[in-house]
Amino acid sequence: MTKEELEILYKSKIIPASKEPYHFEKHAQANTVIEAYNPICGDKYQLYLDMSEGVVQSAYFHGFGCAISKASTSILARKVEGKRLEEVVALGDTFIASLTGITPMDFDDECLKILNELKNFDGRVDCIKSSWEAITHHLKEEQWK
Amino acid sequence: MIEAVTRFDSFENANIHRGLYDLSSTATKRYEQIRTKVAHFLGTENSNTVAFTKGTTESINIVAQSYLSKKIMPGDNVITTIMEHHANFIPWQVLTQTHHAELRIVPIDPHGNLDMNKLRALIDSKTKLVAINHISNTLGTVNPIEDIIAMAHKKNIPVLIDAAQSISHCALSLDQMEYDFLAFSGHKMFAPFGVGILQVAEKHLGEVLPYNVGGGMIREVTNERTTFRDFPFNLEAGTANISGVIGLGAAIDYIGSLDKTDVSNHIRDLTDYCVATLNTVPEINVVGSPSGRSGIVSFTVTDIHPHDVASFLNQDQIAVRAGTHCTQPLLASLGLGATIRASFSIYNTRDDIDQLKASLIALIKFWS
Repeated sequence: MTKEELEILYKSKIIPASKEPYHFEKHAQANTVIEAYNPICGDKYQLYLDMSEGVVQSAYFHGFGCAISKASTSILARKVEGKRLEEVVALGDTFIASLTGITPMDFDDECLKILNELKNFDGRVDCIKSSWEAITHHLKEEQWK
Repeated sequence: MIEAVTRFDSFENANIHRGLYDLSSTATKRYEQIRTKVAHFLGTENSNTVAFTKGTTESINIVAQSYLSKKIMPGDNVITTIMEHHANFIPWQVLTQTHHAELRIVPIDPHGNLDMNKLRALIDSKTKLVAINHISNTLGTVNPIEDIIAMAHKKNIPVLIDAAQSISHCALSLDQMEYDFLAFSGHKMFAPFGVGILQVAEKHLGEVLPYNVGGGMIREVTNERTTFRDFPFNLEAGTANISGVIGLGAAIDYIGSLDKTDVSNHIRDLTDYCVATLNTVPEINVVGSPSGRSGIVSFTVTDIHPHDVASFLNQDQIAVRAGTHCTQPLLASLGLGATIRASFSIYNTRDDIDQLKASLIALIKFWS
């Protein structure tokens, strides 16, 4: 990625999403709290989900992280609301697999498409997927209970 | 260094301490000559104080498991500091927890200097080891290890020095400093990755026991029992990283060809210049202001995460590390999630720092 491409990407997509993230606040009354943590860079978010009857009724998040991880988690929060637990897991699995570059993902969602394109940004894939991995892992464990 | 490793791998490759053919005996001879070279580099004649390891982390873990675990009892304590790399923190945390002992952590003052009064207060008759870095890998603080060694030795307490950050540009001498254990990595001194050193003072040589058993480190093996060679050979089980050691030898030759005072002055000059330069930009916050700092400057940029800063600097061909630098307890104590770390070596110049400043200013403008 050239510097010009990087600047366009940040200016048009990442900075706006990270400066005005969706549902970026602590949500103490949530019945499911998931921690997304990247020990290498120190990024740490709490994901607050309100789940009832197997559906994510609301998703909030709060914490410390880079612009990419914040934008990614913001998109995640918006995408999972209203989805059933198994739909969130399927979305998470597909999205994470797509970041390897091996398994293509057919996105009809513009935000996910942008996130997926960021996989070509060397060294930052962990920033994109940390929250996605955390929520998918946690909800899979919920499914197995 | 690269030529030495390539020559060995291409034309001189053979295992050591095994074959009687020329290639093997030559490789063995060179390997052991480098052990002597390391000893001389560290200011001692006794090459049997020098063990080859995978790096600083393994060296420290060996001291924890092969030396201290045999001595530590419930109620004892180990002293380390809040500014340690995880490699010099976790081994003591795990060891003390396993043995129902106490890990005592020396704090830093607001400038990033070690709190020497607190260290003095923490050392007592139950202290089994003081483990400290020479230079902090996050703050760049140069610790007064001579004073710390003197303080500990007054009470007959051994001292381990993590010299990973200092080995390439500070003079260290076992004779003069009288540390008990010294650990460092090859890759911090222009040698290959995956090779390092544990040096042990003569008085402790018989107390560092095998931790990893197998071929190459034994005297005799019967069905009933095994007897082991003495240190350092009792630690070097299995096939050694011979290419790595060859590279380490070449790196020491190179460093030895440099004037240590010039190197040290150059690194200090760059460090001071970097701090002064970054401090002229209001949005840049240099972490700490220790009385002695060498080779490392950590900083944050207001409202821009260190990872984003590092990505943009990368586009300008500036390589920095961003994150927690394997010092999570330190960053937590400073209330920081992550920092950007500029580090300097002999090949850096003041121009590099001017470019760093220019790139940061451009990023701050872009981000606003």
